[in-house]
Amino acid sequence: MLKKSPKEEKTMLKNRRTILTSGIAFALALTLAGGAMAEGDVLKIGVPTSRTGPYTILGDQVVRAIEFAVEEANAKGGIAGHPVEMKVGDTEGNPDAGRRAAEKLALSGYNVLTGPISSAVGLALASQLDRWDAMYVSVVNKSPKLTGDSCHPRMFRANHSDGMDIAIVRPWLSEQAEADWSIIGADYVWGRGSAEAFNEVATELGKNIKVEVFPPLGTTDFAPYITQLRDSGAEGIWVALSGADAINFAKQAKQFGLTDRVTMFGHNFVVDQTLATIGADGVGIWGNVNYTATIDTPENKAFVEAWTAKYGAPPSNYEGETYAGIQTIFGAVEQAGSVAPSDIAAALPGLTIDSVFGKVTMRAEDHQLLLPNYLGLAVAKDGGAAIEVVQSYGPDVAVPAADPACKL
Amino acid sequence: MIINALNGLVYGSLLFILASGLVLVYGLRRVVNFAHGAFYMLGAYIGYSVAIHAGFIPGIIAAAAVLIAVGVALDLVVFRKLADRDPLVTVLVTFGVLLVLEDFVRTVWGTGNYAIDPPALLSGVVQIAGAPFPIYRLFIVFASALMAGGMVIWLRYSRSGLWVRAASHSPVVAAMCGVRTNVLGPLVVGLGAAFAGIAGIVAAPFLSLNPSMGAEILVMSFVVSVVGGLGSFGGAFISAMILGQIQAFGVVYLPEIAALLPFLLMALVLVVRPQGILGNKV
Repeated sequence: MLKKSPKEEKTMLKNRRTILTSGIAFALALTLAGGAMAEGDVLKIGVPTSRTGPYTILGDQVVRAIEFAVEEANAKGGIAGHPVEMKVGDTEGNPDAGRRAAEKLALSGYNVLTGPISSAVGLALASQLDRWDAMYVSVVNKSPKLTGDSCHPRMFRANHSDGMDIAIVRPWLSEQAEADWSIIGADYVWGRGSAEAFNEVATELGKNIKVEVFPPLGTTDFAPYITQLRDSGAEGIWVALSGADAINFAKQAKQFGLTDRVTMFGHNFVVDQTLATIGADGVGIWGNVNYTATIDTPENKAFVEAWTAKYGAPPSNYEGETYAGIQTIFGAVEQAGSVAPSDIAAALPGLTIDSVFGKVTMRAEDHQLLLPNYLGLAVAKDGGAAIEVVQSYGPDVAVPAADPACKL
Repeated sequence: MIINALNGLVYGSLLFILASGLVLVYGLRRVVNFAHGAFYMLGAYIGYSVAIHAGFIPGIIAAAAVLIAVGVALDLVVFRKLADRDPLVTVLVTFGVLLVLEDFVRTVWGTGNYAIDPPALLSGVVQIAGAPFPIYRLFIVFASALMAGGMVIWLRYSRSGLWVRAASHSPVVAAMCGVRTNVLGPLVVGLGAAFAGIAGIVAAPFLSLNPSMGAEILVMSFVVSVVGGLGSFGGAFISAMILGQIQAFGVVYLPEIAALLPFLLMALVLVVRPQGILGNKV
């Protein structure tokens, strides 16, 4: 077409005018935004977590809890006037992919990091925090290293460590009559570490350890292990298995009649998701319970009520702990009056905040949040199983002293 | 000791049901079917969904029926269309099918774990050597023996069994003698898939269902079919039983290398007798 029709020319003119107008508006907006920087700065939370891989089911819970906390904060007008945004990345449950996902988030401005499931991923982030000008708050990682020899000025743990879980087992075990114990643990760093820690506590209390067995991750048939545990003659069994392994073991142990014959304590075993799948076969198993919807604080009641209204079921233990972690970040933002990771990280040590656990303090020595911890028992309920909290322990009992290996 | 041997027998039986499907398909199509693990998983999920509403037996039937359909479709759409291509192409496509089915399961059933109880009739224990042993585990041995027996009778004594053996030996000569190999393909692949599906639902009461269950057990069933001799039914039986015992006794007496033993056995067989225990026989 060589000559433009009058109508076309008119449209073009109009388009040009629109572009001009919006350009001016944009420039104006930029100027205005510059002036309002300090007050309306966005708190950007990066969530590198398991979207695929073996821990996907935990990643789902972490994301849901953070989404809930962010929505709630924004509905209240933000945190100290700062709107909150979040962006999720996939760690695939391994340190390499985790570091890449976190780097992408941090360098695109989402540099207040939280959410990885595996401790190995959490530790992989720690070494990069200065380079990214980021900070990291763990809400699931349990490895003692995070607050031990690998601690970092910009890394914090707002959840329970393995050491904290073992700390409440000691008073429980000392009151148990069973003298002979056996151990089954997943054959990798967490399962072996848990077995070692239990062995130490049990031996100190004068108990005998009969056998220790370590099935590899992803074991399908536990029968040979169950037979060994039974033949060991142990009256009590320490179980450090998680995910599908925990479920397979619990079902098969019940079928072999083992669960009914011995006292079983599961490390991170009596958790909502696992117990929901095991159902009635899990009844009678003891375990550490890091968070439960029944915790009696005003903050938790309000949280559980709002959560239940939204999702139709009370929050799981991981959801509750993650929410508490985000409350910790929010508390530090309020204290710092800034959304810069360096300012938030500087405000956190020694800070006391109101969380679903009540008033909790971030220990300055190793950046461990001083949390209460709970001991529970799986009891029969509606044909399935439910967690009943038997004993609560305050932070003075539940948190071991800071690891001297941590130099901040 | 007796209990350990029995544990091995149970695990071996489950491996055998699974591996026999793999072996059947390889015998006829000369393709290692990577989707077999996904069939096992799909069978477990379908069986589970039917079983919680209608009971365990309908669950097994539903798993078998759906998987036959999937197997027939796989043969018609993939194996036959790619028959002239490099076998590696077909293997890669079956790997693709595995990924698609895994994602399908994730989409329909989610990423969580499921568990199902054994039917009431089979849920108790019997006393063996002075210790309780779950009846359901004995049922797995029984089911496996039943399937193996049925398979042997079919292959040895029926006309269609004869055709399958002939076509496995030499597809071209069999076709020249009037065997309709085009009909055998869907039949055998459908049956192989059904075996995987049945293994899935039969295993469900003592394993949990999750989208990675297929990949975990696929590796073991590969080991079974390689050790037994790819394509050999009897070999798969022998090697599944050996691997079951290795698993049961290995974790008791050699716990440090128990996970390695099946692969050591496979390496040994590949060095000493590369065609497998009963290779080159159907």
